[in-house]
Amino acid sequence: MENMIEVKNFVRKYGDFTAVDHVSFHVKNGSIFAFLGPNGAGKSSTIHTLCTITEKTSGTLLIDGKDVTKDKASVRNVIGVVFQDSTLDNKMTVEENLKMHCHFYHIPKSKMDERIEFVLSIVDLIEWKKAMVSSLSGGMKRRVEIARSLLHFPKVLFLDEPTTGLDPQTRANIWEYIIKLQQERNMTVFLTTHYMDEAEICDKVAVIDHGKIIAFDKPDVLKKKYTIDKAFITSSQPKKLEELCHYFSLEYEKNEDVFTIELTQSSDIMGLLNGHRDSIKDLEIKKGTLNDVFLEITGRDIREG
Amino acid sequence: MRIITALWLRNVKLFFRNRVQLILLLIMPFFYLYLISTIFKSVSIDDSISYVLAGIVIIVVFQTSLNIATSTIEDITSGYMKEVLVSPVKRIEIAIGQMLSSTTIATFQGILILIIGYFIGMKYSNLTTPLAIICAMISIGFVFSSFGLFLAASVKNAQTFQIISVAVTTPITFLCGVYVPLSLLPNGLQFLALLNPMTYATAFFRALSLEKLSLPTEELITEQLAFKVSNFIITPQLGMVIVSLFGLLFIVLSTLIFSKVDFTKINRAQGNKDIFQQ
Repeated sequence: MENMIEVKNFVRKYGDFTAVDHVSFHVKNGSIFAFLGPNGAGKSSTIHTLCTITEKTSGTLLIDGKDVTKDKASVRNVIGVVFQDSTLDNKMTVEENLKMHCHFYHIPKSKMDERIEFVLSIVDLIEWKKAMVSSLSGGMKRRVEIARSLLHFPKVLFLDEPTTGLDPQTRANIWEYIIKLQQERNMTVFLTTHYMDEAEICDKVAVIDHGKIIAFDKPDVLKKKYTIDKAFITSSQPKKLEELCHYFSLEYEKNEDVFTIELTQSSDIMGLLNGHRDSIKDLEIKKGTLNDVFLEITGRDIREG
Repeated sequence: MRIITALWLRNVKLFFRNRVQLILLLIMPFFYLYLISTIFKSVSIDDSISYVLAGIVIIVVFQTSLNIATSTIEDITSGYMKEVLVSPVKRIEIAIGQMLSSTTIATFQGILILIIGYFIGMKYSNLTTPLAIICAMISIGFVFSSFGLFLAASVKNAQTFQIISVAVTTPITFLCGVYVPLSLLPNGLQFLALLNPMTYATAFFRALSLEKLSLPTEELITEQLAFKVSNFIITPQLGMVIVSLFGLLFIVLSTLIFSKVDFTKINRAQGNKDIFQQ
């Protein structure tokens, strides 16, 4: 099956409020997909419906070819979920939490210990097996949750803001685990985030705002489409640089001796650099980020227009 | 079966881990026993200690099963339920696991009190009596566990739930003859007590543990173990049938409601923000 997740015309209303408004997208088998958007954009509503715990208002949602509203049991068997807020049983130990999960997913009793060791080794928490969940730090709890969601080897892993509130070190580690697993097990990963750098490593990104998908593509393509690269040049001969800019017909802004030049492609500046080689005191080229994409699409200009 | 066992074990484990609660639960009944046995002496009940103790045992079974059935749900809605709900576990398995664990804990407490009660004068002439007592505790515990589960699953809002749970449990607790003899109640409340299933559960349990089930009706009525409604007499045995019917109704209702309820709408956590409505 090529598409692990298929969503067509999905609508979710809470009373009069439309949280998700005719959203359609698909996620290829084995890829990492990110939902990018501000709080209240409809990310969690979509994840909850895909995870079978809230009902859709209308539309079709398929996971692994199965309808999430009609065939809940089969969908639940193939998904692993890490929610935005902790769903660990605080009054139990790490091991007890993981064992409960094994029971829920009918993992054979003979394989339970082996699996628990395996997932705990992925997140480096083997020594914490007997620890009470309530005694763990926020980052460790998150790692336990990720370990737990992997126990039954899901085909699709849902991560609802998996690293929010964690320190950069823990975030980096968690990402390392996720990517490793995704590659080893050909798992499909669906995540929501508002960290732009996390969205960058995904295969495809959907930018969602006010319940609508406003952009859906590869991060590179989005960046190319919605952002421009910028070169910052500090010159010892500003006059000459100005002339060169005119010659190559490049848009620029000048602030004392620092030039900000907008580029459609980074290579556009090669000619200018060659001609100005001896007078460049400092050069920096900035690529557009998904952050810029987001600003560009959801910025005030677009809303007003 | 595996899931029900796992959920059952989890709740039982949680109960035993809370040592302070365990000790308090054991001490409180004897405080009440001391307090009320004097009241019951005044309404011509001989052997008032055993009479009161039997009542206390069954009210503890009632309270515990109701509390655990309702609080486990709360505990689970705090976040853990989401983990259960996205797993292939069936709703009915969760419901049964909850009811069985609260029944187990309630029965366990009843037995503990009875063991201590044995040393302060509760004796049985027949060996089958203790066994019958345990069976009665299990069935009464199960009846009120399902009732508790029904309450917990049908009320969505935290504050409303507290009010309702007090509004329901208080009359059941005080109008069943355990703390206050029914004959001392005003007429209107006596009538209400007759609508209370706990009244019959108490009467049956007392008659059973005092080995008075076979007493003549007249004596049962003076001992407040049988009730006369105009010309109709409700014997302890008939009372137990009423309790069982009540239980059956709520077992069906609670499993139905529990299977249908949208847990995303139940908001028992602190704060008003519904985590699902992002």
